[in-house]
Amino acid sequence: MEPGVNNDMGVAVAALDYDAELMLRVKDGDGASFGLLLERHRSSVIHFIYRLVQEEAVAEELAQEVFLRVYRSRESYEPTAKFTTWLFRIATHLALNWLRDGKHQRGQESLDHGFPELPARQVADRRRSVEQEMVYQDKLREIRHAVASLPEKQRVAVLMHKYEEMDYAQIAKVLGCSESAVKSLLFRAYETLRARLAHMVRA
Amino acid sequence: MNCPMESRNPETLVSYAAGELDLETAQALEQHLASCSHCRAVAAEQAALWKALDKWQAPSVSLDFDRRLYRRMEEEARRSFWQRMAHPFRPMLLRQFVPLTVSAGLLLMVGLILEHPHKVATASHRAEAVRAEQVERTLDDLELLQQFSAAQTASADHADAM
Amino acid sequence: MRWVILSFGLAMALAAGPVCAQQASDKQPPADEQASTAEQAPTAEHLMEEALDRWNKMTPEERERELAKLPPARARRIRLLLRRYNQMSPQAQEALRKRYVKFSQLPPDKKELIRQRLMDFHQLAPERRLAVYQAVKQLGQLPAAERQDRMNSAEFQGQFSPQERQIIHDITEYMGPW
Repeated sequence: MEPGVNNDMGVAVAALDYDAELMLRVKDGDGASFGLLLERHRSSVIHFIYRLVQEEAVAEELAQEVFLRVYRSRESYEPTAKFTTWLFRIATHLALNWLRDGKHQRGQESLDHGFPELPARQVADRRRSVEQEMVYQDKLREIRHAVASLPEKQRVAVLMHKYEEMDYAQIAKVLGCSESAVKSLLFRAYETLRARLAHMVRA
Repeated sequence: MNCPMESRNPETLVSYAAGELDLETAQALEQHLASCSHCRAVAAEQAALWKALDKWQAPSVSLDFDRRLYRRMEEEARRSFWQRMAHPFRPMLLRQFVPLTVSAGLLLMVGLILEHPHKVATASHRAEAVRAEQVERTLDDLELLQQFSAAQTASADHADAM
Repeated sequence: MRWVILSFGLAMALAAGPVCAQQASDKQPPADEQASTAEQAPTAEHLMEEALDRWNKMTPEERERELAKLPPARARRIRLLLRRYNQMSPQAQEALRKRYVKFSQLPPDKKELIRQRLMDFHQLAPERRLAVYQAVKQLGQLPAAERQDRMNSAEFQGQFSPQERQIIHDITEYMGPW
């Protein structure tokens, strides 16, 4: 790679990043290492995409595409950043593409007229009464709606910060912006969520 | 500690609610919260929001996720193997072999038609059809290339509403 | 009779190879084929045609049958992208086609690299995308040495983040003038 363009910390990052080590083994033809990467990151990628696109089947299809692209890139892989940064960059790109393409089909009405019913897999908790369950499901719907109505970058930042427990530095690398921009993004996003979910958060 | 809301570091309150602050900073913030009602309210609401967001659980992954992924990987590997096999010969096939092999092919087809009148139509139909996955790959690449070119016109239209 | 025709056809196919190779070494290609400087260019064009143009030549029933094999979300996306492509002006389609030919000529690892860079580009803020695009356009016109000098300059490094510089470098390096 050309001087002045490379990340000089690339080698140091790889030495600390077990996932990057595994990916380098995949590059060398070790299929079992790919299986290990899949095992380590399958759930977080699917869950992240699910909360972005809010459709279960779509989330799994897109997640498959993420891992396919990781596998296809094995020959040109260079550990210049954390493996998960790269992984979530691909996931974000595919999910946002899907959302943007889907807007032409579905229109914004779905955001205004409420979401489809929760997927069947989320079985009602039998410890709650019927009424309590309805209240719970309503709250869940409101949370999903509130997150979905955030602008794209704020939404991605919130999901990475809250559910994937990424720090500001890594979110910045995934989004390709500065840490201070991420802090600003997140604060505005949470401010909006606090306002939209005021009845849940105010004493 | 300076007031986070007034000193343009409001994200400190977010980090506090998320449990991300180190002990020293957290304690300094708590001392400030004791005397600042605004920050206290924001911190409390942020903590409540954090708890509310915890309720949103993602569904479990399908049991056949890995199997479907590996099947797609195998299909791709098979397809690219055949493409690589054909590739070295493609220019020769297009330029030099075409006239004679077309004639040879016609003769073979005549023979086949006489032998298996029904199957030939299906075989030639399969040769013409292209798989949706091939189209998808091409379209994905075209989309990426097109999005790059569209940057000059898109910057004004697609400014992210942040 | 059927076996006679089949055997004759097979024999002709087998004989075609050495005969054509001999003819090729004796003959000059026609003038219009000489204009094609890259042996691979027709192949890359052919690859794109194979996918899209053959798809468009299939009947609606055949297309729907193929799409039905995919999950609905993917099928929906393919329909949308096809519509977009088919609705482009001939000039826009031609420009995109040329870009795709260039891309297709890259070895697989470089193709994947460019895909990554284009995805990274897509994540940038709109005003950064414009800046990076303009840099690629300008630097892509320069000879390699001059381009490298520009990219190593303090001014350039001050204008673009490390990620942006990587995008500019790789796209200009492997895709040439945009």
